[in-house]
Amino acid sequence: MNATSTTLEPVFAFLESTLSTAQTTFDKLPGSAVVLRYVKSSHRNDPGRTVLELILFAFAVWTLLQSRTRADRNGKHFIQFSEKEIDELIDEWIPEPLAQPLTSTEQSDLASMPIIAGPNGPKPKLVSTGKTAVNLASFNFTGLAGNEHIKQRAVETLRKYGLGSCGPPGFYGTLDVHMDLENDIADFLGTEACILYSQGFSTVSSVIPAFCKRGDIIVADRAVNFAIQKGIQISRSTVRWFDHNDLNSLEEVLIGVEKERKRRRGPVTRRFIITEGIFQKDGVMVDLPKLIELKYKYKYRLILDETYSFGAVGRTGRGLTELYNVPAEKVDILLGSCAVGLASCGGFCAGSRVVIDHQRINGPSFVFSASMPALLAVSASEGINILRSTPSIFETLQENIRTARAVLDKLDCITIPSHPASPVIHVNVRASHPAAPPMSPSASTGSGSSKHQHSNPQSIVSSKDKSQLTPAEYEGEERLLQEVIEECLGQGVIVTRAKGLKGQEVVEPRPSIRLALTSALTKKETEKAVGVLKAALVKVLGKRR
Amino acid sequence: MPFSSPLPSPMALNKPPPSPSIFKKRSSSALGGPIPSSAASYLTALSQADARARNANGSPTSTPALSLSSSVTSSSEDTVLHDYADNDSNANGLLLPARPPTSEQVFTTVHTEFGHCANEEYRTTSQHPPGTPLPPHVEQDPPYYILLSTYISYLILICLGHVRDFVGKRLSPASYRHLMPRNGYAPLNSDFDSFYTRRLKTRMDECFSQPVTGVAGRTILLLDRISPDYNHTQIFTGTRTRALNISSYNYLGFAQARGGCADAVEESIKRYGISSLGSRLEGGSTDLHTISEALVANFVGMEDALISSMGFATNSTIIPALVGKGSLVISDELNHASIRFGTRISGSHVRMFKHNNMKSLENLLKEVISQGQPKTHRPWKKILVIVEGLYSMEGTLVNLPAILELKKKYKFYLFVDEAHSIGALGPHGRGVADYFGVNPRSIDILMGTFTKSFGAAGGYVSGSKALIDRLRVYGHSGPYAEAMTPSVLTQVVASMASIMGIALPPEMASSSKLAIEQEYHHPGPAPPSSLPSWLSLPPNLASGAEGSSRLRRLAFNSRYLHNGLIKLGFITYGHPSSPIVPLLLFNPGKMNMFHRLMKDRQTPIIVVVVAYPATPLVTSRVRFCVSAAHTKEDIDTVLKACDEVGDVLDLKHGLPKRQRWTVEEIMKRAVELGTMA
Repeated sequence: MNATSTTLEPVFAFLESTLSTAQTTFDKLPGSAVVLRYVKSSHRNDPGRTVLELILFAFAVWTLLQSRTRADRNGKHFIQFSEKEIDELIDEWIPEPLAQPLTSTEQSDLASMPIIAGPNGPKPKLVSTGKTAVNLASFNFTGLAGNEHIKQRAVETLRKYGLGSCGPPGFYGTLDVHMDLENDIADFLGTEACILYSQGFSTVSSVIPAFCKRGDIIVADRAVNFAIQKGIQISRSTVRWFDHNDLNSLEEVLIGVEKERKRRRGPVTRRFIITEGIFQKDGVMVDLPKLIELKYKYKYRLILDETYSFGAVGRTGRGLTELYNVPAEKVDILLGSCAVGLASCGGFCAGSRVVIDHQRINGPSFVFSASMPALLAVSASEGINILRSTPSIFETLQENIRTARAVLDKLDCITIPSHPASPVIHVNVRASHPAAPPMSPSASTGSGSSKHQHSNPQSIVSSKDKSQLTPAEYEGEERLLQEVIEECLGQGVIVTRAKGLKGQEVVEPRPSIRLALTSALTKKETEKAVGVLKAALVKVLGKRR
Repeated sequence: MPFSSPLPSPMALNKPPPSPSIFKKRSSSALGGPIPSSAASYLTALSQADARARNANGSPTSTPALSLSSSVTSSSEDTVLHDYADNDSNANGLLLPARPPTSEQVFTTVHTEFGHCANEEYRTTSQHPPGTPLPPHVEQDPPYYILLSTYISYLILICLGHVRDFVGKRLSPASYRHLMPRNGYAPLNSDFDSFYTRRLKTRMDECFSQPVTGVAGRTILLLDRISPDYNHTQIFTGTRTRALNISSYNYLGFAQARGGCADAVEESIKRYGISSLGSRLEGGSTDLHTISEALVANFVGMEDALISSMGFATNSTIIPALVGKGSLVISDELNHASIRFGTRISGSHVRMFKHNNMKSLENLLKEVISQGQPKTHRPWKKILVIVEGLYSMEGTLVNLPAILELKKKYKFYLFVDEAHSIGALGPHGRGVADYFGVNPRSIDILMGTFTKSFGAAGGYVSGSKALIDRLRVYGHSGPYAEAMTPSVLTQVVASMASIMGIALPPEMASSSKLAIEQEYHHPGPAPPSSLPSWLSLPPNLASGAEGSSRLRRLAFNSRYLHNGLIKLGFITYGHPSSPIVPLLLFNPGKMNMFHRLMKDRQTPIIVVVVAYPATPLVTSRVRFCVSAAHTKEDIDTVLKACDEVGDVLDLKHGLPKRQRWTVEEIMKRAVELGTMA
């Protein structure tokens, strides 16, 4: 006993001295007396509270010490293994190969992809044949490609700014020419402001998650393009789908959502309608005035992707808003592409100042990516100037579209879902039995309204659309169309299939040949080129019958 | 911490000095000698000196033109310089080299774009000493009072923000209207969600989104702006300031409006026009795409490569084509937003490991492989580990040799994002694999961007031929995204060829059989057959001499700045070889001050300051991006500025006082600092 106390003596002395130093330092701290008095009195009055506070404190410490990357080792699904077992499992594990090699059809598809030698334009030279061909595949609606004035301005810009901007817009990547282009586009469309993205495809999949968050409601068209689908997916919002380009179906869905909200008595959340101006997948055009009416009636915001209609329709190419004479301000979030519409690069989003400024901080691909090269921004600005001053471009384009449609519409073996004014024209193979009703989505909108079946708005797959092809049929149509393309290529006309991402699309669109008309070709040239396509279609599809 | 004071930001206004009362409490005991006692007086003195310097130079045009003509090749460049050098004088020391060139030195670059530096001593090689492990990265902690004051700063900012919101909503509801539900519409952005932006970021908006003009080279022209209303609006004054640019990702200095690469781009605009008009799979592919992709594959040492027109999109559209349901992505916790975006879209399971911590990675691997997929315990289809070569906020290098060791045992696939490291690291500029002397083909996927080292835009992904072919078809960019434009491709090809050098064509005398295919040997020069036939680079670029000089200058500059800052007593992060040099500031208020103090010097220096959410809350930092375009004197300028500002803002918490060097000593022993590991 004595022995232990003597051995422990220094320990006690040390403890005592530490305690007393702690005491004196604590006393010296200003306000320590107040704290002490407060703690004492609270403990005296309510000892339970002290216990509670201690528990809370301990919990806070415990939470703070939890590592973020720590595994859920206590979860009921966790299995304890010994080191040896783990090693065995690791040895046994055989991963799948990183990438399956392409199938032979995929390989031949890739090999048949037209590669252009030299400048792309209305009549480029092909690497494979070394000959020029008429181009009905590339997006050059307004014929701005190869414009000498734009080239000259681009070279001047290069000599002042160099090529790359070498930084994201937030960190010295904002050039005066970017601000100029933003103003030009906003001014051209008639919106308050505009923001530039450095790639058209990434624009919409960045804009959607900037605004739509978990709990918000998105009502979207079933046939929206892949980029929108990915934007919706990453936003984690609640999605309801309406039938492709069927505004009656949209209204039903909107009513349904409102009912649901009233039943749940939830708070007002952000609500968005997302659709496209001219659809990438089939060239169908949305009825904008009706859409605007619906959005106001049900208090939604509209996100309109005008990638394929900006620089394509309207008297001076301002897109759907000009075509339908709707002020662009009424579209809350309007997206377009300088790559498609202005033959440059990048995308933009136009809207009110609040909408745009929000994206400058929250649009992932705006914030985290380098800004567009200066010379491409200047090229786009020059493109807008040209569109403004030469409405004849769009007269020629529309005439070419009419010419092409006049040639193609007469054919029995195909269906064309695209809008008559759309420069993007999709050509589908008509279903093999001539008696069957046309399956194209646009046709179904007309007949669908009389006897309505309700599609489940929670699923992107429409119950109405019974024309889902079996994989074999799908493959068969693809082959046929590819044959048509080869045939055309042999005759000196470049056309392309609408390429998609097989296996990654939620709904596989029907195989189609996608034409992109241009004002850079004359009416005669267009007629001749489409004539070649017609002949090829007749030859290949006629053989099938 | 002046900036955490409750008063509205004095930084919002441009020239008038902030009221000294805010700064009075700062103790001046730590500062000695000629350094002004407070940041406020320092600022005043600076702006006065600046004004004096500007007035003293009435007619600035004559001298620069005279001496420049000796250092640039053609007379047209002089006129170009004059174009935007209207009110520039050499008072800031940016227009003219410190040492006028001698008669035998011929510089082919414009000094404001790419600095003239003839001293061969200021060069070193970027290479990991073989056989040694990568030293672990130690993050130095600041003294506790710094941490505490940082937290308090944020606390004050947050409390004050809430008070202002509370009062503001009642007194001026109009300015909050867009944050409130209205007419049955929910606000686009709630006041809670935007709190950080409105109440914290707005205060330092001066540091962000500064518009510029001209080339983002060694120097850059700022479009001056002021804010009359605490950063809610910015007004352009119409004047321009030339500043030393240590912020752009211009590692090899290829951001140039003059020179061989720009000439090549001009030629390509004339030949190819502006746009490729469409996606790769739908009529937007040109021969230039094929050539560039083959060259990129050679450059990185892989079988094949795929180019995408945007760096962010490279990750966000490629990763979903690699992994999907049933696969696991193991990602470093500090990976870039584009990687997270891509993995989230892919639908695969994601786990993270501690930044660059191999132990954490190995433990995680053991766990996930043994446990299999959650709930079902089925084995994972595949595991993809995604790391970055060089981390953009930390300046840390991935521990590639260690990861490759783990790869052998755990059979995962490795994806290395070389956005910042390609071109910037390695004796041949081929990225981290080159830096560590590792065979690039031992990595499954190498991804990188052209924005940084090549002065272009966009990105690439490279790997085996089968993999890349699959990505062409299954990557989202293939069918949908616009193809890269010819001008950008040419910049990539020209800058890449200048780094590689072009192999001498084989003897024309020998029969055509021999001449057709010149083999490429990694990492050697590019065979002439792999380049567009019309591309002609000036001899100094074609020989690779300038490319290798750029690589060596960058390596020297990086090490010199990094080691110099350490010797001055700052806390820095990252590897000395990294061209990204983060200097820790901690207090949020210091970010604004640091930025302003650097910009308002006689030689203005622009810097990037980053804070939460790009970094952890406490470790706000300034990030220098060194370039090969900087001369040793430029780095001296930065070091001198940091030394002075660091004293004013109390930033030197790294080396103990005894071990620090003076800035003069650092400048004198630059070669030693720039070449030490």
